[in-house]
Amino acid sequence: MNNILWIVRKQLHSTFRKRSSWIVYFGLPIAAILLSMLIYGSSSGGTLNVGVLNQDGDKTLTQDAIHFVEELNNVKITVEDQASMNKDIASGKLDSGLIFEDGFADSVRNGQPAHIRIVSAKGAEVTSYVKALLEGHIGNVASIGQATKNDADAFDAIYADYKKSSFKFDSESLEDTAKFKDMTYQTIGFLLMFLLFSAVNMSSLILKERENRTFLRLLSSPLSARGFVLGNVLVTFIIQVLQIVVTLLVLKYAIGIDSGVPFGEMLGTLLLFSLVAIALALLLTAFSKNSRGANAMQTLIITPTCLLAGCFFPAEIMPDTVQKISSFLPQHWLLDTITKLQDGQAIGSLGLNLAILVAFAAVFTLVAIFRFSRNNDVRQFI
Amino acid sequence: MNVLEIRNLSKKFGDFIAVDNMNLSVREGEIFGFLGANGAGKSTTINMISSLLRITKGEIRLLGKDIVKESKFTKMNIGIVPQDLAIYEEMTAYENVSFFAGLYGLRGALLKERTEEALEFVGLGDKHKALPKSFSGGMKRRLNIACAIAHHPKLIIMDEPTVGIDPQSRNYILNSVRKLNQMGCSVIYTSHYMEEVEEICTRIAIVDHGKIIAEGTKEQLKSIITDTKETWISVKNADRLDLDALKQISGVNSVRLEEQTVKIVSRGEINNLNWVIQVLIRDQVEISSVEEQAPNLETVFLTLTGRNLRD
Repeated sequence: MNNILWIVRKQLHSTFRKRSSWIVYFGLPIAAILLSMLIYGSSSGGTLNVGVLNQDGDKTLTQDAIHFVEELNNVKITVEDQASMNKDIASGKLDSGLIFEDGFADSVRNGQPAHIRIVSAKGAEVTSYVKALLEGHIGNVASIGQATKNDADAFDAIYADYKKSSFKFDSESLEDTAKFKDMTYQTIGFLLMFLLFSAVNMSSLILKERENRTFLRLLSSPLSARGFVLGNVLVTFIIQVLQIVVTLLVLKYAIGIDSGVPFGEMLGTLLLFSLVAIALALLLTAFSKNSRGANAMQTLIITPTCLLAGCFFPAEIMPDTVQKISSFLPQHWLLDTITKLQDGQAIGSLGLNLAILVAFAAVFTLVAIFRFSRNNDVRQFI
Repeated sequence: MNVLEIRNLSKKFGDFIAVDNMNLSVREGEIFGFLGANGAGKSTTINMISSLLRITKGEIRLLGKDIVKESKFTKMNIGIVPQDLAIYEEMTAYENVSFFAGLYGLRGALLKERTEEALEFVGLGDKHKALPKSFSGGMKRRLNIACAIAHHPKLIIMDEPTVGIDPQSRNYILNSVRKLNQMGCSVIYTSHYMEEVEEICTRIAIVDHGKIIAEGTKEQLKSIITDTKETWISVKNADRLDLDALKQISGVNSVRLEEQTVKIVSRGEINNLNWVIQVLIRDQVEISSVEEQAPNLETVFLTLTGRNLRD
């Protein structure tokens, strides 16, 4: 055991004395967080830009309706003409456009609201908020119109009272967690790839040790081949724990993104994946003749499987066949677990997902051990 | 007392027998030369002694203990200087020695003391902070030795420790081997340089086709071939030589050409020099000099194995 710890100490020392290791192990996951922010952070700024086109003149009801929209939280209005509104909506400068057509005020006054349109290139996601509240306001005013039945004086008197009425209106903004969930998903996707690469780096290190002949000197010491491999597994696990913890802490405390999953559950799930990654690295070590072979295999395996499993973009947007293939990849099950945890499912109810990840780790490890043990030459143990 | 005893040792790789029922012993305090051409079974034997290779049959005992059953004890008492450099280029000389010594359980002040001692021993005390990539080939070889001796092994196995280095480093290493021996270490020494083996080894074994074919002091080995003689003939136009014609001369055991010198081993009682010269004259080969050599290890090896050590 002492010798295994001695190996761990040496490998950690050798690894972290190199500046490039800090960049690879910690810089890249942090860069992945920033990239996720860039991808999802700009998709919604929290304020709706609404263009207003008034074709109904200076009528009080129309002006009041425009003022109502202007007063809404997180809405910024711009008065536009027809041409500029179309251009700004098309370019994305405006989220939606509100068109008060000629006759709007009269229709409300008559209790039959019409001649108002809301247009957008982004769909209901950006129109529903303004539409719902404005409908409420117009509906109230139209109710007065219906009650007064073309009696203009009565309408004006009741409408004046309605405007003066003091409503207690508490407004509270809720955080848009969907965006944070997307950022977390994307960050975890990248992190999985980095975890796989850092685990497979262990294969290269072990195989280089053999190529450099230091492995023979190590094995002629009281250190066993199994102890050597175990030492390297421990080193990789320690590095991966650090990678995961640093990424999650930066995500939560430095960037302020709430993943929607308790820290412990997120850490535990990712550590389980870390074991899968290490097991895969052992498998590559067992089947690679040299470090160049291992590097080639890692390129052939990691990037395509991450792509198929949905590490770079959500799997739902991929064709059904690809989604089915991704079920055979451990990354898919980890991402699925994280998504379900974000959706509020308890970790206890995700036993199947976790069992599949454990199974991946177990199968990879057993095949690697079988391969190692078939060799009668101790020098070729790895 | 024997430091190392090998009894009926065999190693098979599939159908190929690399070591065939070998018996050998290395006595305490001796520098034991282990000679063999490439593929003779020398490295396989050394790898089995070092526990790097599993034994097919037989046993190896170090200081009386079975190396398979007492693996840890064996490894603690053996130091390996491999033929290929086994050092970390990205670690300093001190870190290299300290790391490998640490694998033998040394820690703290003792580890520091032994590391410094090993580096001083190989003459790298003042280079302890330097990275091996800044070292010459000879210095790397010396560091390779330091990594094997810091834990004070009883038996040191040196596999071609002087390959590819300058004469100064070579002398330093040979002196180091002698010093280690004087300090009580037994040494198994393999080399392709016959003169090195002749210079420092107290006893020598010649291995061929996985078997020990001769064993003893250098004098004992030379006495094996007193019935042969070696004649060296320097020539100017060796390309005209017909070596097969020379081999067919009565009494000739072997003929080899090294650069412009024909080396002929013949039976001692037969005087065949006239016939040899006649063949050379027939082939219009110009002779510069003729010398009769006293038997040496090279001759012994060639006579016993029929091939050069470097073959």
